[in-house]
Amino acid sequence: MRTGSGSAWEAVPAPGAPLLDVDGLDVGYNGAVRALRGVSLQVARRGVVAVLGGNGAGKTTLLRAISGTLGSAGGAVTGGTIRLDGRDVRGLPAAEIVRAGIAQVPEGRRVFRDLTVEENLRAGGLTAAPRTRSAALQGIYELFPDLAERRRERAGLLSGGQQQMLAIGRGLMSRPRLLLLDEPSLGLAPQLVARIGEIVTEINRHGTAVLLIEQNAVMGLRVADSAYVLEVGRVAASGPAEVLAGSDEIRGRYLGAGAGTASSADPGPDDGREPDTGPPGPAAAVRAEALKVDGVTVRFGGVTALADVSFEIEPGTVHALIGPNGAGKSTCINVLGGAYRVAAGTVRYGDRTLTGLRADQIAGLGVARTFQNISLSLDATVADNLLTGRHRLMRSGVLGGALGLPRARREDREHRARAERVAELLGLTALLGRSVHTLSYGDRKRVELGRALCAEPTLLLLDEPVAGMNPAESAEMAATIAEVRRELGISILLVEHDMPFVMGLAERVTVLDFGRRIADGTPAEVQRDPEVLRAYLGSEAA
Amino acid sequence: MSYLLTQLVNGVSLGLVLGLIAVGFVVVFKSTGVLNFAHGSVLLLGAYLVARLHPELGFWGALAAGVAGAALVAALINTLLVRRVAEHDPGVLAILTIGVDILLLTELTRQIGNDVLDIGAPWGASVVGAAGVSLPASRAIAAGTAVVLFAALGALAARTDWGLAMRAAAADPDTASLMGIRLSRTSAVGWGLAGALAAVAGVFLTSYPTPGVEPGVSVVAFAAIPAWVLGGFDSVPGAVAGGLVIGVAQALAIGYESELHFLGGGFGEVVPYAVMVLVLLLRPHGLFGQKEAIRV
Repeated sequence: MRTGSGSAWEAVPAPGAPLLDVDGLDVGYNGAVRALRGVSLQVARRGVVAVLGGNGAGKTTLLRAISGTLGSAGGAVTGGTIRLDGRDVRGLPAAEIVRAGIAQVPEGRRVFRDLTVEENLRAGGLTAAPRTRSAALQGIYELFPDLAERRRERAGLLSGGQQQMLAIGRGLMSRPRLLLLDEPSLGLAPQLVARIGEIVTEINRHGTAVLLIEQNAVMGLRVADSAYVLEVGRVAASGPAEVLAGSDEIRGRYLGAGAGTASSADPGPDDGREPDTGPPGPAAAVRAEALKVDGVTVRFGGVTALADVSFEIEPGTVHALIGPNGAGKSTCINVLGGAYRVAAGTVRYGDRTLTGLRADQIAGLGVARTFQNISLSLDATVADNLLTGRHRLMRSGVLGGALGLPRARREDREHRARAERVAELLGLTALLGRSVHTLSYGDRKRVELGRALCAEPTLLLLDEPVAGMNPAESAEMAATIAEVRRELGISILLVEHDMPFVMGLAERVTVLDFGRRIADGTPAEVQRDPEVLRAYLGSEAA
Repeated sequence: MSYLLTQLVNGVSLGLVLGLIAVGFVVVFKSTGVLNFAHGSVLLLGAYLVARLHPELGFWGALAAGVAGAALVAALINTLLVRRVAEHDPGVLAILTIGVDILLLTELTRQIGNDVLDIGAPWGASVVGAAGVSLPASRAIAAGTAVVLFAALGALAARTDWGLAMRAAAADPDTASLMGIRLSRTSAVGWGLAGALAAVAGVFLTSYPTPGVEPGVSVVAFAAIPAWVLGGFDSVPGAVAGGLVIGVAQALAIGYESELHFLGGGFGEVVPYAVMVLVLLLRPHGLFGQKEAIRV
């Protein structure tokens, strides 16, 4: 492979030495929480290394330490070394680490939304020599033809999958020797996850080493030569990828029962995931009303994001909305929550029409939601974030609260008690006093669910509740959601990619593709629908 | 009719100068998230340097020195103070700039004393006229200069690496640093640019028909704050448009003061704020401020 820009490769000292050598790394947040303890890891020249682990294991912290971006999250490296090609890069500012040859594609894509696709890519190449840039840009457009087509569009208008491609392309523009990828398959449909895997392999074939963090351990282990498993800030296991993929413990914990080729039709772990029968205990009376979406059309400029979409959610059921990236699922949830206006059609909840109401009015009718890109107050504690959810139920005003009137104090106690009960239901009790920015992605997802539940909704809209979770965690979330539905007697609308999760939980499924409804029925009916297989699982599955 | 036209042209010229100042507020706000209350005294510093130095360096040399001096001081305020403060609370940083403003203004007032310094502009008190409208040459040159500067700024931002780095850093500093963009540099450049624009505006605010450089000029600069707010805080075209609205409104209020007497004398000075309040009642995000177009 002769892609590297000559000089960078000639500077290589001993051919056997690793490109990246992390040794005994310790990282703490705000001087208190210890996120990494003595982590050692090597990435070979042109190697692909995957880092696996549950939420809160320290995976993102590890990448941030390497790329020099811990500071903005309040973290600091307290021990150990990080060497790139023998050069100590620990403590260098992020911008210098990029110049040393390490590019990071951050978690959650973080594209510059108001810049065009091409400007995003050019921003990634600002450190490269000017004469190499147009060739690099051409290379990116060959790798991602979608981006070439939409090069003049604002990046914020791309679908999630395209934004991920853009973020990866932008990282490659600096011609890094080592590319750090933080959860590249997060929130993507199976078809696109496979595509990301191919892209990683392709990038590596051109001579770039890759350090990959993945919740999708199946994909991570398939593309990597070697892998490390992090658990509570320590390396719990490491070795060649195929050895780890064969280990029973790793399979059980990170690959899930649905992994592997033989069992792909299996809808996932059966234990505790039967929403219709559920664990013992009386189900609450159904408090929800029927939601009727009728002929809803949404346009952004010239683009029709939803075209004449109709479906109905029976009171007290779990309804799923699925479809490939860009199908219009998030748009749909944004219409229901009042963030977007419809061009045509109506949404009715019970006897109230939701279309035309503001988001706060809709919340007032008992409709609560979570967000795909988590939207919490980062500096506030978990408890305070949960209490925010109770805002619509608070009766005493600012004045009463400020004066500490008995009625206000009693109400405050009640609200805190309710928030604590929600925390207990979601397993967040131990985290109540922590500020949100110290929490992992998965824990933040649960806090968001908690905040929505604190509003005591009768209809709960969940936008990708298990994105970024491994199979064990997503099974736990499924059990939680089933229990919430049963105990509170509410309706739940799920937008999700995780098929086993959706199929095990929902009573009814609506499938969208390119803004149109292509199927609607029970999970079993939808799974057999040839059009769904073609649109959602890719042509090879049809 | 020609009286009205004269007032309008005057207003446009004033508006463009206010726009130069307001763009400085926007650039600083976008590159560091700071509401820079020291902007008025940096403007005064620029004008003061030009007035003091033109007898020795000639007007153009003094202008270059004034622009460079104001840019340097603004960049130093950022590098030495703003970026060193560990607290990134916007309120704390805004108060820090108020402190800097008071210090700088006090020193400049001490230097200027009771004098009114001549800016020494070569166009002096000459008047140009066309189609029944006569206008001080300084106002015409101010308008032309501002338009050229805005166009140059727009082209730099859209076409150069420098502009791209500035925009990326403004949009998402953390991610920009992952692209190798040095935030210490983009923020210093943002402040320096704001200082330079303020110095140019300062020269025009102290040219004929205004008597010259005196400490009160820094207060005149505050009329650019409503322009900035009207434009929506973070939009450069918005700041220019806001400047034009305020400038024209102020010129009309002063030009027709006798008819507006029921509002009391000196109404022209409060017009910027009255217009700001009115517009914000109708458009809370300002003229160009947009609710972010995001996928939630």
